Amino acid sequence: MKDLDKLSEGMVRRLARMNSRRGVLATIGGLITGGAMFPVLPVARASGPATGSGYDGVTPQSTGNPMDPGDPASCDYWRYCGIDGFLCSCCGGGTNSCPPGTEMSPITWIGTCLNPADNVNYIISYNDCCGKPACGRCLCNRNEGERPMFRPQLNNDINWCLGTASAAYTCSTAVIIGVALKEGQG
Amino acid sequence: MKTLAALLLMTSAASAGMPGVPNEARAKINWQLGCQGCHLADATGSANGAPSMAGDVARFLSVEGGREYLTRVPGVTNAAVSSDQLAELLNWTLATFDSDHLPADFTPFTGEEMAAGRAHPLVGEAPTVRAALRKKFPAEKSAAGGGK
Repeated sequence: MKDLDKLSEGMVRRLARMNSRRGVLATIGGLITGGAMFPVLPVARASGPATGSGYDGVTPQSTGNPMDPGDPASCDYWRYCGIDGFLCSCCGGGTNSCPPGTEMSPITWIGTCLNPADNVNYIISYNDCCGKPACGRCLCNRNEGERPMFRPQLNNDINWCLGTASAAYTCSTAVIIGVALKEGQG
Repeated sequence: MKTLAALLLMTSAASAGMPGVPNEARAKINWQLGCQGCHLADATGSANGAPSMAGDVARFLSVEGGREYLTRVPGVTNAAVSSDQLAELLNWTLATFDSDHLPADFTPFTGEEMAAGRAHPLVGEAPTVRAALRKKFPAEKSAAGGGK
C-alpha cells in the first residue's frame, strides 16, 4: 500500500512539474472551442446526417433565389415534378448544367411544374446529360404528368440521350424554358 | 397574373396576328410541350429523329398532296391537343418557322380539316410520303432547310 502511495505521489508530482496549470486550462479551452467549431466545417456538414428531404451524404443546396425555392439536390425540389433519373445537381452539374465531360442532349421530354413561390406553372425541359456512365447518386423518380410509351414525347422511360455523340445516360437536368397558361386563360 | 395577362395582350397586339392563330401564346406553349422536345426550339430537328421544318415546312403547301400530308403526319395526328388547337398550332408553326414560303393566299388550317387528317394518320409510310413530296418542291436558288 505504501509503495502504491509513493508511486502515485511520484507520478502526480512529475505531472505537476512538467505541466503548468494555465497550460491545462488553455488546452481544455481550446478543445471546447474547437469542438464547437468542428460541425461548422464543410467536411463535417457533408458527412453529417441528411437534413430535410436531402439524400444521405449530399450537402443541401439552394438557388439563392426566393422565387426559386427549395433544395435542387433534393427530389422534392419543385422543378423535378416529372423527372426520372439521377439529379445532375448531385453529380457535379446543376439544374441547368451538365457535369464536366458530359454533353447535354438537345432532344428532351418537356412538361410543366408548379412553382410554389408564385403558384405559376412553368414549362420544364428535362435535358439528359450524356457521355459518361450513369451517375448513380440522387435517384429521383416522380413522374407527375408522365404519359405511357404511346405518347413518347411525354414519356420519361425513354433514354433521351438522342442527338448526342454518346447515348450513355449520366444524369438529368430540369431547365425552365417558359411559362404555361392554365386552360382557358389568356 | 394581371401583369402576365397584360404582357400577353401586348405581345399578341405587337405581332399583328398570324393567320389562323387566335392565341399565339397558347400556340407557342403547345409547341414547347408537344413538339420542341424532338423538333428542337428552332425546328431544325435532328439526324435520324424528327425532321427539320425550319425554312421549308411551308413548301409542302406548294405541292399537290402537301397540305393533306401536314394534317396526317404522325407528330400532328398524335399531338395531345384538340383539333382546333392543333390547327392553331400548325398555322403558328408555318408562320413562325417558314414565313418566307407561306403563300400570300394561304388559307389557314381549320379544326375540321385537322380532324379529317387525324382520321387517316400516316404511320410508317410518313418518311416515304415526305421524301416523294419534297422531290416535287419547285427548284430554289438557295437550298433552304435540310433536304431529307
